[in-house]
Parts: sequence; structure tokens; C-alpha cells
Amino acid sequence: MDQTQAFFIAHDFLAREAKLLDERRFDEWFALIDDDIIYHVPIREARLDYAEEHPEGAYRVRDNKALIETRIKRLNSGHAWAETPPSRTLRVVGSLIVEILADDRLAVESAMILYRQRGHDQLGDVIPVRRHDELRLTLDGPRLLKRTALITEVVLSTPNLGVFL
Amino acid sequence: MHVYNSVSASSDADYVAALCDRVEKGLDEGLLPVEVFNDERVFRTEMDRIFTRTWVFLGHESEIPNSGDFMLRKMGLDQVIVTRNGKNEINVLLNHCRHRGTEVCHQDRGNATHFKCPYHGWIYKNDGDFVGAPDMREAYGGRLDAKEWGLLKAPKVESLWGFIFASLNEDVPTLRDYLGGAAWMLDCIFGLHPEGMVALAPPERFIVRADWKSGAENFCGDAYHVGTTHYSATLSGLIPGDVRETGPNAQGYMFDGGHSFIGHQLYDWFGPPFGLWGYPPEVQSGFDLSRFDAQQLEMIKKVPPTIGTIFPNFSYLRFPQPARPGEFPMAFTNIRMWQPYAPGQMELWVWEFDYKFSPQRHKDDSYLAGQFGFGAGGIFEQDDTAVWEGIAKAAASPWNRRNGTKLHYQQIRPDPDPDWQGPGQHFNSIYGEYCQESFWRRWLIDMRAGA
Repeated sequence: MDQTQAFFIAHDFLAREAKLLDERRFDEWFALIDDDIIYHVPIREARLDYAEEHPEGAYRVRDNKALIETRIKRLNSGHAWAETPPSRTLRVVGSLIVEILADDRLAVESAMILYRQRGHDQLGDVIPVRRHDELRLTLDGPRLLKRTALITEVVLSTPNLGVFL
Repeated sequence: MHVYNSVSASSDADYVAALCDRVEKGLDEGLLPVEVFNDERVFRTEMDRIFTRTWVFLGHESEIPNSGDFMLRKMGLDQVIVTRNGKNEINVLLNHCRHRGTEVCHQDRGNATHFKCPYHGWIYKNDGDFVGAPDMREAYGGRLDAKEWGLLKAPKVESLWGFIFASLNEDVPTLRDYLGGAAWMLDCIFGLHPEGMVALAPPERFIVRADWKSGAENFCGDAYHVGTTHYSATLSGLIPGDVRETGPNAQGYMFDGGHSFIGHQLYDWFGPPFGLWGYPPEVQSGFDLSRFDAQQLEMIKKVPPTIGTIFPNFSYLRFPQPARPGEFPMAFTNIRMWQPYAPGQMELWVWEFDYKFSPQRHKDDSYLAGQFGFGAGGIFEQDDTAVWEGIAKAAASPWNRRNGTKLHYQQIRPDPDPDWQGPGQHFNSIYGEYCQESFWRRWLIDMRAGA
């Protein structure tokens, strides 16, 4: 695998994953997740030094695979009022930086603008995120092994994280 | 979105006075005028008569453990610097330079002995005192008075169990007197171990399009909503029990001053391992319960307080919830502040706490469980705040204003428990909305005071 192939694999995976989430095909998205996934959304603070902006151990969300599955079951339950009706979303993913960690592992950094229109006729929210992912390359295709979603905002302006970042 | 406030011929003060009369008349009949949840004049009055007068929660001492530590917080609409100075005192300072008003602190958290204004360079110590400015002799002919030109400083700052409260009102009662009977309750929530509780991380913050009072009154005594609002928690398989049993298993503890709590019959509902909120044996064995009276001991063993509100906007939650699906439900301690942001909107601040002496594993899991339930990504929080959004819209509805719509607070009232030995009142059923009424009557007193 050379750098060009790695970039293509990562770009293709993130684009397809974004489409699955936008179309609320959560079960198909879930099938792309590695059993060892850590999905992590840190808390950010306004600090002078970038290195101090994400205090260690402070997070809004930290899910393993079972907790992600719980969220999907909840979304499918018909009683997830925060997503009733479900948000209409568009995930624009770009600015990829891809590093080959091993024959079967890629580190992928990307920037994402998640546009989200909640409710019926409310003005849309924008959730700006920089993602630090790791992909595991398997015979069945890439799997999401790790995701750290750094939300740009200190005070979240969308009222909840009922959508996957 | 446009925020509708009806046209009024009267002055703001007359409008609010008339609304308060309507609220009082409504409460006498178990009704609440809906506009209190989203009204510009109500909001401004709350700033003038509640948040710049009464005790306001700011954070926990464990967030600023060292000399020089500071954190930015809010008192009403004001940004304040909460500092720990060299004498180990907590100071609450308005984050505006006395010379021209520019902000002097520019980080959410940090450590500093001094704050320097970026405009002309006035410098203040972390206890607020003015210490100097450039060209002092040429500009001012000498040093200005340290106190007279120091940062504005909240006259009253007190902590209990490490929780820091401040008031801008010189004449406010002591924090313990303000809490009254609720202090007895908080003592057996936060005081189970002599080293107390610690914040596990900085607070999570997010804007919610619902009024601060929707959160405050919900946490006062609303166990009724759980079975409907949070039914997804049962369907998703996270919660072993059925959340629809939450209301019938709830009781109420009501204290003077608008403070109240929900208790849950955890021992009888889930079984003996859930005495003392379900804390695991290795944590329970560290607790020191020797200070507590018989009623406190009986209560925390059988029907511990699980949810509560200290007026105006400090709330508490400790309810067993698995950190991961299939695990034993664990007691996490979630603290929240319903920070007023605008009429019908709040900024929600959420902390997870644990006992300082708890094993790290317990701290990690209680943080995880708390955040999975109650934070911006929390599966309970999301649905609470979503249903409250509708209340803020209803409150600004031209149709509702025209109709004079009042909301229904008329559940059947139980009699108080005659055998209760603690302060305040205990009720064996949470139905009745008596805690919410008590919150609103307290709100009414403050909204009328100083009119």
C-alpha cells in the first residue's frame, strides 16, 4: 500500500460513512465499526495554549461499541424525542491527512462540517468538528477503530449530540 | 428565530406585578400562566431580583485546588472570575476592568497571581485589589486606592461541602440558613465521607432552547415524566428495569425556600444491594455515617434522594445506571446549573462528581455513566431538553397569550407523612406537583421583592 492508495481508501471510507449517517442507515454504519472502537468527544475550554484546550479525561461522549449500539437502538425505538422527527443532516468531510501506521492500520485526520436541521422548520445548526480517526483494514474493507471528534465550540450551540460526529 | 413578547401599555414593573398576581392566583388553583417560561420582561426581572440578589452556585472548590487557581463562571448575565488567593480564600470578581470596563481574564481556567487589563494595563491581584497601572505618577499623580479601584467583588461567598455559592446582596442570610432544611438533606448526599466529593472534570456546557425554570422545576419533583420522556432508555436495553415504574416508586421531600427533592424506593424496588443508592461495598465501607440522625439513615438506606433542586438553578442527580450495557447499575453524582441565557433559553452546565476517596475505577465508571445519561450526548438529557423546547415556544405563543393559557398543576395531593422526623415535609407519593408549586411560590416571593 502506498500513500496514494492509503489516501484513496481513507477518503472513500469517510465519504461513504458520511452518506450512511446522513441517510440514517445506522445499522449499515454500525457494521463498519470495529469491535474495539472508542468514540470519544472531548470537552473543550477556552485557553491561551492549544495544548491545554482539551483537559485530560474530560469528555462529552466516550462510547465503546456496546454504547454506540445502545444509541442506535434508542434512535430506532420510536421514543427518541430529541431526534423526533430525525434531524436532516449533511456531513461535509475534507482536509484529509492520512498516515500509514501499519499494513492494516491508517491514521486519518479530517475536518467535518455537520449541518443539521432539527425539528420541523427550525433554522439549521452547524457542528464544526476535527476528527482524529484510526481505520483498521480488514479483508471485508476498512473498519472504524478509533474516533476522537474535537468540536470547535467550547459552548455547544446545537442543543444535544443526538447525531453521530 | 423571532421571540414574541406581547405589546403592553403598562410599564415593565406594572406588567411584572400584574403577572405575579396572575401567577399567585393561578397557583392557588393549581395553574401556572404559561408566559413565565419565555418573556423578556420576566427574564430581565429575574436578573434584577433573583440572580443579582440570592445565593448563586458557581462551582466546586476541587476545580480550583491550588493557590492562584481561577475559573470563569456566570452570575446571572455577568462573567465572574472565581479565584483562590494566596490566603486560600475564594474570591468572586466581576471580569471587567474598573478603568474602562475591558475584560481582564481571558481563559476559562488557569493559575495567576494577577490579572492585567489589555487596554491600558491596569493590574489587579487575584483577590481583586488594584495594584498598579502604567505611568501611574504621570497619569494619576500616585497610586489609586487598592480597594476603591479594585475589581468588583461579590460581598458574600460561602462554600458548603466544597460547593461555592456567591451573592451580590450584603444582607443575604448565611448559605446554611438559606438552604434551611435542605442542608440536612445535602449533608447526607455530599457528606458521606469526611474528605467529601470532587469534580471529576471541568463542566460540560451547551445551549438549550428552553427556559432555565423548566429544568429547575423538573428536577424539583417531576418523576411523572420519566416513563414517557425516557422510555427509549428501557427500549434501548440500557436500563435493567422499566422506566415507567419510576413515577410510582418515587416520593417527595419538600423544604422551605423552594428547595425540594425526589426520592426513589431503590431498596424495595431494586433490592437490598441498592441501599445507599447502590454504591458498591468497597465504597460503602468507607462511608462515615456516624453524624447522621435516625431519619437520615433510614432515608438514605430505603428511599434516598435521587434528584433535587436548590432554588434557583442548582440541581442534583444520583440514580443507579450501568456504565456499560449489562453491568451493575452504579451511583453517579451529576450536578447541573440551569444558567439563564436569554428569555426561553439557557446554558446548561453539567459536572460529574464522585467521592474523593473512591477508587479510580469507580470514578471513571461514574463519570462514564453520568455522561452517557446526562450531558449533551446523554440519552436522558437529550430528551428532557427537547421536550422543554416546546414549553418555551408555548410561552411565546400569540394564541396562548390571547387565550391567557395556564398550565395544569392539579395532580391529586397526598397528605404529608405524619411519621416524618426530618426537617421540611415528606410525602409517600411524588404525584401532586407540590414540589413544583413550592418552587414557583419561592420564585414569586423573589420576583415581587424590591418591586
